[in-house]
Amino acid sequence: MNRRQLFANVLVAMILAVVFAWLCTSLFAVLGKQADWSKTWEYREALWNGWLVTLGISFAALIGSIFFGLLFMLGQRSHLVVVRCTCRAFLEFVRDTPLLVHLLFGYFVIFAPLLARPLGEHGLDDKLIIGVLLLSVFEGAYLGEILRGGVESIPRTQWESARAVGFSPFQVYRYVIFPQALRRVLPAMAGLFVSLIKDSSLLSVIGVAEYFYNTRNVISRSYAGLEGYIPLAVGYLILTLPVAWLSHWLEKRFRHET
Amino acid sequence: MKLEVTQLTKCYGKTRAADGLSLSVGAARVLVLIGPSGGGKSTLLRLLGGLETADEGIIEINGQRLSTEVSALQAYRRKNGFLFQQFNLFPHLTARHNIALPLEKVHGHPPAEALVLAEQALDRFNLLDHADKLPAQLSGGQQQRVGIARAVAHQPEVLFLDEPTSALDPEMTAEVLELIQELAEAGQDIILSTHEMGFARAVADQVAFVAAGKIEELSPPAGLFAAPKSALCQRFLSRVMRY
Repeated sequence: MNRRQLFANVLVAMILAVVFAWLCTSLFAVLGKQADWSKTWEYREALWNGWLVTLGISFAALIGSIFFGLLFMLGQRSHLVVVRCTCRAFLEFVRDTPLLVHLLFGYFVIFAPLLARPLGEHGLDDKLIIGVLLLSVFEGAYLGEILRGGVESIPRTQWESARAVGFSPFQVYRYVIFPQALRRVLPAMAGLFVSLIKDSSLLSVIGVAEYFYNTRNVISRSYAGLEGYIPLAVGYLILTLPVAWLSHWLEKRFRHET
Repeated sequence: MKLEVTQLTKCYGKTRAADGLSLSVGAARVLVLIGPSGGGKSTLLRLLGGLETADEGIIEINGQRLSTEVSALQAYRRKNGFLFQQFNLFPHLTARHNIALPLEKVHGHPPAEALVLAEQALDRFNLLDHADKLPAQLSGGQQQRVGIARAVAHQPEVLFLDEPTSALDPEMTAEVLELIQELAEAGQDIILSTHEMGFARAVADQVAFVAAGKIEELSPPAGLFAAPKSALCQRFLSRVMRY
Protein backbone atom coordinates (compact mmCIF):
# COMPACT_ATOMS: atom_id res chain seq x y z
CA MET A 1 0.00 0.00 0.00
CA ASN A 2 1.52 3.33 -0.99
CA ARG A 3 0.94 6.62 0.81
CA ARG A 4 -1.90 7.77 -1.39
CA GLN A 5 -3.80 4.53 -0.93
CA LEU A 6 -3.18 4.65 2.81
CA PHE A 7 -4.52 8.19 2.95
CA ALA A 8 -7.60 7.26 0.89
CA ASN A 9 -8.27 4.25 3.11
CA VAL A 10 -8.05 6.25 6.30
CA LEU A 11 -10.29 8.95 4.85
CA VAL A 12 -12.99 6.52 3.73
CA ALA A 13 -12.83 4.67 7.04
CA MET A 14 -13.32 7.90 8.93
CA ILE A 15 -16.28 8.96 6.79
CA LEU A 16 -17.93 5.57 7.28
CA ALA A 17 -17.31 5.70 11.03
CA VAL A 18 -18.86 9.16 11.25
CA VAL A 19 -21.95 8.10 9.26
CA PHE A 20 -22.38 5.00 11.39
CA ALA A 21 -21.93 6.92 14.61
CA TRP A 22 -24.45 9.54 13.50
CA LEU A 23 -26.97 6.82 12.61
CA CYS A 24 -26.55 5.11 15.99
CA THR A 25 -26.76 8.30 18.03
CA SER A 26 -29.85 9.55 16.26
CA LEU A 27 -31.54 6.17 16.64
CA PHE A 28 -30.68 5.93 20.30
CA ALA A 29 -31.86 9.51 20.78
CA VAL A 30 -35.31 8.40 19.65
CA LEU A 31 -35.48 4.82 20.92
CA GLY A 32 -32.85 4.67 23.64
CA LYS A 33 -34.89 6.57 26.18
CA GLN A 34 -37.63 3.98 26.06
CA ALA A 35 -35.29 0.99 25.89
CA ASP A 36 -35.75 -1.06 28.98
CA TRP A 37 -33.45 -4.06 29.04
CA SER A 38 -35.21 -5.53 32.04
CA LYS A 39 -38.00 -6.55 29.63
CA THR A 40 -35.56 -8.72 27.69
CA TRP A 41 -34.37 -10.25 30.92
CA GLU A 42 -37.93 -10.82 32.10
CA TYR A 43 -38.76 -12.85 28.95
CA ARG A 44 -35.37 -14.57 28.79
CA GLU A 45 -36.89 -18.01 29.06
CA ALA A 46 -39.11 -17.60 25.98
CA LEU A 47 -36.23 -16.16 23.98
CA TRP A 48 -33.82 -18.89 25.06
CA ASN A 49 -36.33 -21.64 24.29
CA GLY A 50 -37.04 -20.15 20.86
CA TRP A 51 -33.34 -19.94 20.13
CA LEU A 52 -32.90 -23.58 21.10
CA VAL A 53 -35.78 -24.59 18.84
CA THR A 54 -34.20 -22.67 15.94
CA LEU A 55 -30.91 -24.45 16.63
CA GLY A 56 -32.71 -27.79 16.63
CA ILE A 57 -34.67 -27.01 13.45
CA SER A 58 -31.51 -25.91 11.68
CA PHE A 59 -29.66 -29.02 12.68
CA ALA A 60 -32.49 -31.39 11.76
CA ALA A 61 -33.16 -29.63 8.44
CA LEU A 62 -29.44 -29.74 7.67
CA ILE A 63 -29.45 -33.51 7.98
CA GLY A 64 -32.78 -33.71 6.12
CA SER A 65 -31.59 -31.49 3.30
CA ILE A 66 -28.51 -33.67 2.79
CA PHE A 67 -30.81 -36.69 2.50
CA PHE A 68 -33.14 -35.00 0.02
CA GLY A 69 -30.23 -33.39 -1.83
CA LEU A 70 -28.63 -36.79 -2.44
CA LEU A 71 -31.97 -38.19 -3.48
CA PHE A 72 -32.60 -35.39 -6.00
CA MET A 73 -29.06 -35.64 -7.32
CA LEU A 74 -29.30 -39.38 -7.88
CA GLY A 75 -32.81 -39.03 -9.30
CA GLN A 76 -31.55 -36.62 -11.91
CA ARG A 77 -28.79 -39.01 -12.91
CA SER A 78 -31.11 -42.01 -13.08
CA HIS A 79 -31.17 -44.22 -16.16
CA LEU A 80 -34.97 -44.07 -16.20
CA VAL A 81 -36.33 -41.16 -18.17
CA VAL A 82 -39.49 -41.02 -16.05
CA VAL A 83 -37.54 -40.65 -12.80
CA ARG A 84 -35.29 -38.03 -14.36
CA CYS A 85 -38.17 -35.95 -15.70
CA THR A 86 -40.22 -36.17 -12.51
CA CYS A 87 -37.23 -35.08 -10.49
CA ARG A 88 -36.49 -32.20 -12.86
CA ALA A 89 -40.10 -31.01 -12.78
CA PHE A 90 -40.30 -31.20 -9.00
CA LEU A 91 -37.03 -29.31 -8.57
CA GLU A 92 -38.17 -26.67 -11.02
CA PHE A 93 -41.40 -26.25 -9.04
CA VAL A 94 -39.60 -26.03 -5.71
CA ARG A 95 -36.94 -23.65 -6.92
CA ASP A 96 -39.33 -21.33 -8.72
CA THR A 97 -41.78 -20.71 -5.87
CA PRO A 98 -41.07 -18.83 -2.62
CA LEU A 99 -40.38 -20.80 0.56
CA LEU A 100 -43.16 -18.87 2.27
CA VAL A 101 -45.68 -20.23 -0.25
CA HIS A 102 -44.27 -23.70 0.21
CA LEU A 103 -44.64 -23.66 3.91
CA LEU A 104 -48.23 -22.37 3.80
CA PHE A 105 -49.26 -24.63 0.93
CA GLY A 106 -47.33 -27.64 2.19
CA TYR A 107 -48.59 -27.32 5.72
CA PHE A 108 -52.21 -26.27 5.33
CA VAL A 109 -53.01 -28.02 2.04
CA ILE A 110 -50.92 -31.18 2.05
CA PHE A 111 -49.48 -32.34 5.33
CA ALA A 112 -51.68 -30.95 8.08
CA PRO A 113 -54.85 -32.73 6.82
CA LEU A 114 -52.88 -35.98 6.51
CA LEU A 115 -50.53 -35.93 9.46
CA ALA A 116 -51.70 -33.46 12.08
CA ARG A 117 -54.04 -35.86 13.88
CA PRO A 118 -51.86 -39.01 13.87
CA LEU A 119 -48.84 -37.00 15.01
CA GLY A 120 -50.88 -35.26 17.69
CA GLU A 121 -52.13 -38.57 19.00
CA HIS A 122 -48.55 -39.62 19.59
CA GLY A 123 -47.94 -36.42 21.50
CA LEU A 124 -45.73 -34.94 18.80
CA ASP A 125 -45.65 -31.33 17.61
CA ASP A 126 -46.99 -31.64 14.06
CA LYS A 127 -46.04 -28.07 13.09
CA LEU A 128 -42.44 -28.59 14.06
CA ILE A 129 -42.08 -31.92 12.29
CA ILE A 130 -43.86 -30.87 9.11
CA GLY A 131 -42.01 -27.55 9.12
CA VAL A 132 -38.64 -29.27 9.33
CA LEU A 133 -39.68 -31.67 6.57
CA LEU A 134 -40.76 -28.85 4.25
CA LEU A 135 -37.61 -26.88 4.95
CA SER A 136 -35.50 -29.98 4.27
CA VAL A 137 -37.17 -30.56 0.92
CA PHE A 138 -36.78 -26.92 -0.06
CA GLU A 139 -33.10 -26.66 0.83
CA GLY A 140 -32.54 -30.20 -0.46
CA ALA A 141 -33.67 -29.05 -3.91
CA TYR A 142 -30.88 -26.48 -3.97
CA LEU A 143 -28.39 -28.87 -2.47
CA GLY A 144 -29.30 -31.46 -5.11
CA GLU A 145 -28.32 -29.02 -7.85
CA ILE A 146 -25.07 -28.15 -6.07
CA LEU A 147 -24.20 -31.83 -5.70
CA ARG A 148 -25.14 -32.55 -9.29
CA GLY A 149 -22.84 -29.77 -10.45
CA GLY A 150 -20.04 -31.22 -8.35
CA VAL A 151 -20.52 -34.77 -9.55
CA GLU A 152 -20.77 -33.70 -13.18
CA SER A 153 -17.60 -31.65 -12.89
CA ILE A 154 -15.51 -34.78 -12.30
CA PRO A 155 -13.82 -35.64 -15.59
CA ARG A 156 -14.95 -38.66 -17.58
CA THR A 157 -11.59 -40.39 -17.20
CA GLN A 158 -12.15 -40.69 -13.46
CA TRP A 159 -15.41 -42.58 -13.98
CA GLU A 160 -13.71 -44.78 -16.56
CA SER A 161 -10.68 -45.52 -14.39
CA ALA A 162 -12.93 -46.33 -11.47
CA ARG A 163 -14.91 -48.74 -13.63
CA ALA A 164 -11.71 -50.19 -15.06
CA VAL A 165 -10.32 -51.15 -11.64
CA GLY A 166 -13.56 -53.06 -11.10
CA PHE A 167 -15.56 -50.84 -8.75
CA SER A 168 -19.32 -51.37 -8.65
CA PRO A 169 -21.49 -48.33 -9.46
CA PHE A 170 -21.97 -47.65 -5.74
CA GLN A 171 -18.24 -47.93 -5.09
CA VAL A 172 -17.49 -45.58 -7.98
CA TYR A 173 -19.52 -42.88 -6.23
CA ARG A 174 -18.37 -43.73 -2.74
CA TYR A 175 -14.61 -43.96 -3.26
CA VAL A 176 -13.84 -41.93 -6.37
CA ILE A 177 -16.52 -39.41 -7.30
CA PHE A 178 -17.86 -38.13 -3.97
CA PRO A 179 -14.50 -37.50 -2.30
CA GLN A 180 -13.50 -35.33 -5.24
CA ALA A 181 -16.88 -33.70 -5.84
CA LEU A 182 -17.43 -32.80 -2.17
CA ARG A 183 -14.15 -30.90 -2.07
CA ARG A 184 -15.35 -28.79 -4.95
CA VAL A 185 -18.82 -28.01 -3.57
CA LEU A 186 -18.07 -27.64 0.15
CA PRO A 187 -17.95 -23.82 0.04
CA ALA A 188 -21.26 -23.70 -1.84
CA MET A 189 -22.79 -26.16 0.62
CA ALA A 190 -21.67 -24.09 3.59
CA GLY A 191 -23.29 -21.06 1.96
CA LEU A 192 -26.51 -22.99 1.56
CA PHE A 193 -26.49 -24.02 5.21
CA VAL A 194 -26.24 -20.35 6.22
CA SER A 195 -29.37 -19.70 4.12
CA LEU A 196 -31.05 -22.66 5.74
CA ILE A 197 -30.55 -21.24 9.24
CA LYS A 198 -31.94 -17.88 8.16
CA ASP A 199 -34.85 -19.46 6.29
CA SER A 200 -35.86 -21.37 9.40
CA SER A 201 -37.31 -18.08 10.69
CA LEU A 202 -40.10 -18.47 8.10
CA LEU A 203 -41.46 -21.49 9.97
CA SER A 204 -43.07 -18.88 12.23
CA VAL A 205 -45.82 -18.49 9.61
CA ILE A 206 -47.16 -21.94 10.37
CA GLY A 207 -46.86 -21.28 14.07
CA VAL A 208 -43.67 -23.08 15.03
CA ALA A 209 -42.44 -21.55 18.28
CA GLU A 210 -38.90 -20.83 17.09
CA TYR A 211 -36.67 -17.85 17.77
CA PHE A 212 -38.31 -15.33 15.43
CA TYR A 213 -41.83 -16.37 16.50
CA ASN A 214 -41.06 -16.13 20.21
CA THR A 215 -39.17 -12.86 19.91
CA ARG A 216 -42.03 -11.28 17.96
CA ASN A 217 -44.46 -12.43 20.65
CA VAL A 218 -42.25 -10.99 23.37
CA ILE A 219 -42.02 -7.70 21.49
CA SER A 220 -45.76 -7.37 21.00
CA ARG A 221 -46.49 -8.33 24.57
CA SER A 222 -43.94 -6.04 26.18
CA TYR A 223 -43.92 -3.20 23.64
CA ALA A 224 -40.17 -3.66 23.43
CA GLY A 225 -38.16 -1.94 20.70
CA LEU A 226 -34.40 -2.08 20.47
CA GLU A 227 -34.18 -4.41 23.43
CA GLY A 228 -36.20 -6.98 21.44
CA TYR A 229 -34.77 -6.60 17.95
CA ILE A 230 -31.10 -6.49 18.87
CA PRO A 231 -31.15 -9.92 20.57
CA LEU A 232 -33.09 -11.19 17.53
CA ALA A 233 -30.34 -10.18 15.12
CA VAL A 234 -27.54 -11.29 17.43
CA GLY A 235 -29.21 -14.65 18.03
CA TYR A 236 -29.16 -15.47 14.32
CA LEU A 237 -25.61 -14.18 13.91
CA ILE A 238 -24.41 -16.56 16.63
CA LEU A 239 -25.77 -19.43 14.54
CA THR A 240 -24.73 -18.29 11.08
CA LEU A 241 -21.29 -16.74 11.62
CA PRO A 242 -19.50 -19.98 12.56
CA VAL A 243 -20.90 -21.66 9.44
CA ALA A 244 -19.90 -18.69 7.27
CA TRP A 245 -16.40 -18.69 8.75
CA LEU A 246 -16.15 -22.40 8.19
CA SER A 247 -17.10 -21.90 4.55
CA HIS A 248 -14.43 -19.21 4.01
CA TRP A 249 -11.86 -21.41 5.66
CA LEU A 250 -12.78 -24.38 3.49
CA GLU A 251 -12.71 -22.22 0.39
CA LYS A 252 -9.17 -21.08 1.17
CA ARG A 253 -7.96 -24.51 2.09
CA PHE A 254 -9.19 -26.26 -1.03
CA ARG A 255 -8.10 -23.45 -3.31
CA HIS A 256 -4.50 -24.06 -2.29
CA GLU A 257 -4.79 -27.79 -2.51
CA THR A 258 -5.65 -27.89 -6.20
CA MET B 1 -3.66 -65.93 -24.78
CA LYS B 2 -6.13 -66.98 -27.39
CA LEU B 3 -8.43 -64.43 -28.97
CA GLU B 4 -11.35 -64.87 -31.32
CA VAL B 5 -13.37 -61.86 -32.49
CA THR B 6 -16.17 -62.23 -34.99
CA GLN B 7 -18.08 -59.55 -36.90
CA LEU B 8 -17.76 -56.91 -34.19
CA THR B 9 -19.73 -53.70 -34.75
CA LYS B 10 -19.88 -50.61 -32.57
CA CYS B 11 -21.40 -47.28 -33.58
CA TYR B 12 -21.13 -43.87 -31.92
CA GLY B 13 -23.91 -41.90 -33.53
CA LYS B 14 -23.15 -42.26 -37.23
CA THR B 15 -19.51 -43.20 -36.83
CA ARG B 16 -18.82 -46.91 -37.16
CA ALA B 17 -15.86 -47.26 -34.83
CA ALA B 18 -15.84 -51.02 -35.30
CA ASP B 19 -17.30 -52.12 -38.60
CA GLY B 20 -17.71 -55.88 -38.85
CA LEU B 21 -14.30 -56.41 -37.32
CA SER B 22 -12.94 -59.96 -37.13
CA LEU B 23 -9.70 -61.09 -35.54
CA SER B 24 -8.28 -64.49 -34.77
CA VAL B 25 -5.11 -64.90 -32.71
CA GLY B 26 -4.13 -68.48 -31.94
CA ALA B 27 -1.49 -67.89 -29.31
CA ALA B 28 0.25 -64.65 -28.40
CA ARG B 29 1.68 -63.20 -25.25
CA VAL B 30 1.66 -59.64 -26.52
CA LEU B 31 -0.76 -58.37 -29.15
CA VAL B 32 -0.09 -54.86 -30.43
CA LEU B 33 -2.67 -52.78 -32.27
CA ILE B 34 -1.32 -50.13 -34.62
CA GLY B 35 -3.04 -47.90 -37.12
CA PRO B 36 -4.16 -44.33 -37.82
CA SER B 37 -5.90 -42.26 -35.15
CA GLY B 38 -9.64 -42.63 -35.33
CA GLY B 39 -9.27 -46.00 -37.03
CA GLY B 40 -10.83 -47.95 -34.14
CA LYS B 41 -7.86 -49.08 -32.00
CA SER B 42 -9.25 -47.58 -28.81
CA THR B 43 -12.75 -48.83 -29.46
CA LEU B 44 -11.51 -52.37 -30.07
CA LEU B 45 -9.43 -52.23 -26.90
CA ARG B 46 -12.34 -50.90 -24.85
CA LEU B 47 -14.60 -53.64 -26.21
CA LEU B 48 -11.99 -56.31 -25.45
CA GLY B 49 -11.46 -54.85 -21.97
CA GLY B 50 -15.16 -54.97 -21.16
CA LEU B 51 -15.56 -51.21 -20.78
CA GLU B 52 -18.12 -51.05 -23.57
CA THR B 53 -20.47 -53.53 -25.12
CA ALA B 54 -20.60 -54.14 -28.84
CA ASP B 55 -23.72 -53.48 -30.91
CA GLU B 56 -23.14 -56.78 -32.67
CA GLY B 57 -20.56 -59.51 -32.78
CA ILE B 58 -18.81 -61.97 -30.51
CA ILE B 59 -15.62 -61.75 -28.47
CA GLU B 60 -13.95 -64.88 -27.10
CA ILE B 61 -10.86 -64.63 -24.92
CA ASN B 62 -9.12 -67.88 -23.94
CA GLY B 63 -12.17 -69.81 -25.03
CA GLN B 64 -14.55 -67.79 -22.85
CA ARG B 65 -17.23 -65.78 -24.51
CA LEU B 66 -17.52 -62.20 -23.26
CA SER B 67 -20.96 -61.53 -21.84
CA THR B 68 -22.87 -58.29 -22.40
CA GLU B 69 -24.50 -58.44 -19.01
CA VAL B 70 -23.55 -55.68 -16.54
CA SER B 71 -22.53 -57.82 -13.56
CA ALA B 72 -20.65 -60.33 -15.68
CA LEU B 73 -18.73 -57.50 -17.32
CA GLN B 74 -17.86 -56.05 -13.93
CA ALA B 75 -16.51 -59.43 -12.84
CA TYR B 76 -14.56 -59.61 -16.10
CA ARG B 77 -13.02 -56.16 -15.55
CA ARG B 78 -12.04 -57.20 -12.04
CA LYS B 79 -9.84 -60.03 -13.23
CA ASN B 80 -8.14 -57.92 -15.91
CA GLY B 81 -6.25 -54.64 -15.87
CA PHE B 82 -6.81 -51.54 -17.97
CA LEU B 83 -4.76 -48.39 -18.44
CA PHE B 84 -5.72 -45.26 -20.39
CA GLN B 85 -3.60 -42.59 -22.02
CA GLN B 86 -3.55 -40.38 -18.94
CA PHE B 87 -5.36 -39.34 -15.74
CA ASN B 88 -5.67 -42.94 -14.59
CA LEU B 89 -4.91 -42.26 -10.95
CA PHE B 90 -7.41 -40.92 -8.43
CA PRO B 91 -6.10 -37.42 -7.65
CA HIS B 92 -7.27 -37.37 -4.02
CA LEU B 93 -5.29 -40.49 -3.06
CA THR B 94 -1.55 -41.09 -2.70
CA ALA B 95 0.16 -43.58 -5.02
CA ARG B 96 0.06 -46.17 -2.25
CA HIS B 97 -3.67 -45.75 -1.64
CA ASN B 98 -4.42 -45.64 -5.33
CA ILE B 99 -3.18 -49.21 -5.48
CA ALA B 100 -4.42 -50.37 -2.10
CA LEU B 101 -8.02 -49.13 -2.45
CA PRO B 102 -9.08 -51.49 -5.29
CA LEU B 103 -7.19 -54.36 -3.66
CA GLU B 104 -9.20 -53.80 -0.50
CA LYS B 105 -12.62 -52.90 -1.90
CA VAL B 106 -12.66 -54.95 -5.09
CA HIS B 107 -10.46 -57.93 -4.35
CA GLY B 108 -11.36 -58.30 -0.69
CA HIS B 109 -7.94 -58.08 0.94
CA PRO B 110 -7.94 -56.82 4.54
CA PRO B 111 -6.76 -53.16 4.70
CA ALA B 112 -3.34 -53.90 6.21
CA GLU B 113 -2.65 -56.64 3.70
CA ALA B 114 -3.79 -54.41 0.81
CA LEU B 115 -1.25 -51.78 1.88
CA VAL B 116 1.52 -54.37 2.01
CA LEU B 117 0.59 -55.63 -1.46
CA ALA B 118 0.49 -52.03 -2.75
CA GLU B 119 3.95 -51.49 -1.35
CA GLN B 120 5.23 -54.62 -3.08
CA ALA B 121 3.69 -53.49 -6.37
CA LEU B 122 5.42 -50.10 -6.08
CA ASP B 123 8.69 -51.72 -5.07
CA ARG B 124 8.60 -54.01 -8.09
CA PHE B 125 8.76 -51.00 -10.41
CA ASN B 126 11.14 -48.92 -8.26
CA LEU B 127 8.42 -46.49 -7.27
CA LEU B 128 8.64 -46.88 -3.51
CA ASP B 129 10.11 -43.37 -3.09
CA HIS B 130 6.87 -41.96 -4.49
CA ALA B 131 4.48 -44.05 -2.41
CA ASP B 132 3.17 -41.16 -0.35
CA LYS B 133 2.90 -38.59 -3.11
CA LEU B 134 -0.34 -37.45 -4.68
CA PRO B 135 -0.65 -37.91 -8.46
CA ALA B 136 -0.22 -34.15 -8.99
CA GLN B 137 3.24 -34.41 -7.40
CA LEU B 138 4.37 -37.10 -9.87
CA SER B 139 5.65 -36.66 -13.44
CA GLY B 140 3.56 -37.99 -16.30
CA GLY B 141 5.81 -41.01 -16.66
CA GLN B 142 5.69 -41.79 -12.95
CA GLN B 143 1.90 -41.48 -13.02
CA GLN B 144 1.67 -43.99 -15.84
CA ARG B 145 4.04 -46.37 -14.05
CA VAL B 146 1.96 -46.16 -10.87
CA GLY B 147 -1.09 -46.71 -13.09
CA ILE B 148 0.47 -49.87 -14.47
CA ALA B 149 1.50 -50.98 -10.99
CA ARG B 150 -2.15 -50.62 -9.96
CA ALA B 151 -3.38 -52.49 -13.03
CA VAL B 152 -1.12 -55.49 -12.37
CA ALA B 153 -1.22 -55.50 -8.55
CA HIS B 154 -3.96 -58.15 -8.55
CA GLN B 155 -2.23 -60.34 -11.15
CA PRO B 156 -4.65 -59.77 -14.03
CA GLU B 157 -5.18 -62.37 -16.69
CA VAL B 158 -4.84 -59.82 -19.46
CA LEU B 159 -3.47 -56.28 -19.24
CA PHE B 160 -5.02 -53.77 -21.65
CA LEU B 161 -3.04 -50.62 -22.42
CA ASP B 162 -4.62 -47.89 -24.53
CA GLU B 163 -1.81 -45.78 -25.99
CA PRO B 164 -0.03 -45.69 -22.63
CA THR B 165 2.70 -43.29 -23.76
CA SER B 166 0.86 -40.94 -26.13
CA ALA B 167 0.73 -38.11 -23.60
CA LEU B 168 4.39 -38.37 -22.58
CA ASP B 169 7.66 -36.82 -23.75
CA PRO B 170 10.32 -39.16 -25.25
CA GLU B 171 12.23 -39.67 -22.02
CA MET B 172 9.15 -40.61 -20.01
CA THR B 173 7.93 -42.72 -22.92
CA ALA B 174 11.13 -44.74 -22.65
CA GLU B 175 10.73 -45.38 -18.92
CA VAL B 176 7.13 -46.55 -19.39
CA LEU B 177 7.96 -48.74 -22.39
CA GLU B 178 10.81 -50.38 -20.47
CA LEU B 179 8.39 -51.27 -17.73
CA ILE B 180 5.90 -52.76 -20.19
CA GLN B 181 8.66 -54.80 -21.80
CA GLU B 182 9.67 -56.07 -18.35
CA LEU B 183 6.10 -57.19 -17.75
CA ALA B 184 5.92 -58.92 -21.13
CA GLU B 185 9.16 -60.76 -20.43
CA ALA B 186 7.80 -61.84 -17.07
CA GLY B 187 4.98 -63.58 -18.93
CA GLN B 188 2.11 -61.11 -18.60
CA ASP B 189 -0.51 -61.33 -21.36
CA ILE B 190 -0.84 -57.85 -22.84
CA ILE B 191 -3.00 -56.23 -25.50
CA LEU B 192 -1.93 -52.69 -26.25
CA SER B 193 -2.33 -49.98 -28.84
CA THR B 194 0.56 -47.67 -29.59
CA HIS B 195 2.15 -45.30 -32.06
CA GLU B 196 5.67 -46.42 -31.07
CA MET B 197 6.55 -48.67 -34.02
CA GLY B 198 9.99 -49.58 -32.75
CA PHE B 199 8.49 -50.75 -29.51
CA ALA B 200 5.75 -52.69 -31.29
CA ARG B 201 8.37 -54.50 -33.34
CA ALA B 202 10.48 -55.33 -30.30
CA VAL B 203 7.80 -56.54 -27.91
CA ALA B 204 4.90 -57.90 -29.98
CA ASP B 205 4.18 -61.52 -30.80
CA GLN B 206 1.43 -60.43 -33.17
CA VAL B 207 0.74 -57.02 -34.64
CA ALA B 208 -2.70 -56.05 -35.91
CA PHE B 209 -3.14 -53.08 -38.22
CA VAL B 210 -6.52 -51.48 -37.48
CA ALA B 211 -8.05 -48.96 -39.88
CA ALA B 212 -11.60 -47.81 -40.63
CA GLY B 213 -13.04 -50.12 -37.99
CA LYS B 214 -11.52 -53.27 -39.45
CA ILE B 215 -8.41 -55.42 -39.07
CA GLU B 216 -6.52 -54.80 -42.27
CA GLU B 217 -3.63 -57.05 -41.51
CA LEU B 218 -2.45 -59.38 -38.76
CA SER B 219 0.95 -61.01 -38.60
CA PRO B 220 4.10 -61.34 -36.49
CA PRO B 221 6.03 -58.02 -36.38
CA ALA B 222 8.94 -59.15 -38.52
CA GLY B 223 6.65 -59.87 -41.45
CA LEU B 224 4.33 -56.92 -41.02
CA PHE B 225 7.02 -54.27 -40.70
CA ALA B 226 9.30 -55.71 -43.42
CA ALA B 227 6.67 -56.48 -46.03
CA PRO B 228 3.13 -55.27 -45.28
CA LYS B 229 0.61 -56.90 -47.57
CA SER B 230 -2.30 -54.48 -47.46
CA ALA B 231 -1.96 -51.21 -49.36
CA LEU B 232 -3.36 -49.18 -46.46
CA CYS B 233 -0.83 -50.64 -44.08
CA GLN B 234 2.01 -50.00 -46.54
CA ARG B 235 1.01 -46.37 -46.86
CA PHE B 236 0.62 -45.95 -43.09
CA LEU B 237 4.00 -47.49 -42.31
CA SER B 238 5.84 -45.58 -45.02
CA ARG B 239 4.38 -42.39 -43.62
CA VAL B 240 5.14 -43.00 -39.93
CA MET B 241 8.59 -44.48 -40.62
CA ARG B 242 9.73 -41.64 -42.85
CA TYR B 243 11.14 -39.47 -40.04
